[in-house]
Amino acid sequence: MPRTATARLLLCATALAVATAGACSAPGSDSSSQESSDGPFKIAVVNAQSGQLSSLGQWEWKGAKLAADEWNAKGGIDGRTIELELFDDQGDPTVGTNIARKLSSEGFVAMIGTAESAVTVAMIPILRQAKIPNITSGQSPAIAEAGSPYAFYNGPTSNTYDESLARYLVDDKGHRKIALISNNGSYGKGERDAFTSALADRGITPVDDQVVTTDQKDFSAALTSIRQKAPDVLFVGAEEVAAGLIVKQARELGITATIAGAAPMGTPVYLETAGVTNAEGTVVSSPYLSNDTDEASRAFAEAYQRAHGEEAEMHGAKAYDGANIVFTALESSNGAGGAELAEAIRGTEYDGLLGDFDFDESGVGIHETSIGVITAGKLTAEPAS
Amino acid sequence: MEVFFQTLVGGLGFGAVYALVAMGFSIVYRTMGLVNFAHGQVVMIGAYAASTFYMTAHVPFFISIPVAMVVTGLIGLVIERVLRPLENKDFDLMLIGTIGFGMVLESLATIIWGATGHAVPSPVDTEPLDVFGIRIRTYSIVVLAVAALATVALVLFLQRTKRGAAMQAVAMDHEAATAVGIHVGRSNAVAFAIGAGLAALAGALVAPMLYVNPTLGGSLGIKGFAAAILGGFGNIPGAVVGGLAIGVLDSYAAGRFQAYSELVVFLVFTVIIMIKPTGLFGERTVNRA
Repeated sequence: MPRTATARLLLCATALAVATAGACSAPGSDSSSQESSDGPFKIAVVNAQSGQLSSLGQWEWKGAKLAADEWNAKGGIDGRTIELELFDDQGDPTVGTNIARKLSSEGFVAMIGTAESAVTVAMIPILRQAKIPNITSGQSPAIAEAGSPYAFYNGPTSNTYDESLARYLVDDKGHRKIALISNNGSYGKGERDAFTSALADRGITPVDDQVVTTDQKDFSAALTSIRQKAPDVLFVGAEEVAAGLIVKQARELGITATIAGAAPMGTPVYLETAGVTNAEGTVVSSPYLSNDTDEASRAFAEAYQRAHGEEAEMHGAKAYDGANIVFTALESSNGAGGAELAEAIRGTEYDGLLGDFDFDESGVGIHETSIGVITAGKLTAEPAS
Repeated sequence: MEVFFQTLVGGLGFGAVYALVAMGFSIVYRTMGLVNFAHGQVVMIGAYAASTFYMTAHVPFFISIPVAMVVTGLIGLVIERVLRPLENKDFDLMLIGTIGFGMVLESLATIIWGATGHAVPSPVDTEPLDVFGIRIRTYSIVVLAVAALATVALVLFLQRTKRGAAMQAVAMDHEAATAVGIHVGRSNAVAFAIGAGLAALAGALVAPMLYVNPTLGGSLGIKGFAAAILGGFGNIPGAVVGGLAIGVLDSYAAGRFQAYSELVVFLVFTVIIMIKPTGLFGERTVNRA
């Protein structure tokens, strides 16, 4: 008797498993028609919540959460609420691909994140197959090169950052002795390529071009080589912590060149890691210089402060813009997901904190950045020339 | 020439830290024959403990280090006590147990301090020394000095004190040691506590050089472990030489091979170990497994 009972139970369980598996087998293929009836919109936020890149991930989550809360307070999208779910990718592409598979089997309509280009690049093929539009905070041109119609940037690419930087350093300030140090991660590599090509357009060959690993701790060899070339400008292409460590050691080794770089160098993490004295004078190319640029950024910073009890910064603003674009597109696609949502995102013209979004074929919406200089521990805007 | 010496100086600064990590691995290994895979995470806890006392309680840095060493020493005792029932029964389980403890410590750090981490301002805030164009960080000199002191103290402890001699005896033959009345369990506990204390010392010293976060232990642990093997696992002076060697090798490889430096470091390491499997100062004191 107990034998048959067990067998029956097992059979039930198997049947149940088969049924559930069937129900959520390929949501991507017909998600637009099937999911759009009622219930909340499930939107995934995928970002590192642990590991060295977790500060980015936490800022991103706070920005996206703020946007979703504001929409929900106004009644959601066509009366349906927005449900954000947070996934920790640990800044690891392998974890990222696992999450991508999970998203495609659990009926998420869109994804916000990640802040790490390498993770996003790894996730793109799966998201494309599942027809889940994704708006990333990554900056590497590799994301656009993947050529997926479902991948979008919530900010400029490295090409834009570094073009502005080169224009400022070379055209405006007249520097010509420029050295590069970058790490070989997805972000660092993108920065190196973009800045080198921006310099090449101006007929400049870097006096030194050092590449370090993402896990490197001692930069003496690379930095001493750079010091011997006595450059006017040292371009750093690395994430927040790595850039901070490089700049700290560069100053300790007596390199007095002007430090320059893209968005990571405008964050508090960079400032703390390098130390305020060492970071002084760093030239930063960024689409979001401060919480005090205009009315919109002041309002955002105030709401962010109220919601999370801390000061807003660029990554929160990027994710806030990205989330708002996805929600606006969901509204204009009448709640449809998949290809329709991707097209709606591409068609969304949005006046955001980072500028006026106007998406092109490659999924880039912002095409310019501003220049700021760290002065007395604060990033201040450099007047446009 | 300038690059050569500057790289050497940079490599020695980090090498001293690897040496301390390697010594912690070795002291536990020589006494118990066990590789403590949670060691890297204990280093991380030490870094957090010291920097937290230093930054939030405003305790002078060189007082916060002993406090952190006590904290991790206690963690070491807990790990040993939990694993003790397995001693001489199942070594594989003990190894897995230490890996498990590593994960627990990493999660604990995330719960207590958050996943983000913090930067630690340098406690020695003077300009680097300039010797014939080679810049030497004053803080690196401090780190090297502390590492040297710790090595001397540990070697003296093992050779000159009764407790140290007892630990040597356990390392050589734990059954004979038991027969002459040495408490093997206690001896192991002391080894674990010393190992964890050294980990805190390494963690505290490296904190102002790097960025403290819960995953800090990973790469420090691997480099420290490689250093211990390179020097001859279980050999204390060997661990120091191994640590400095890995640090310097790492720096030169970074300069020469740039993005492939990590690959080169471990290739060189593998070749050395293939030629001399017992490490540079090879004496296998323990083989209990």
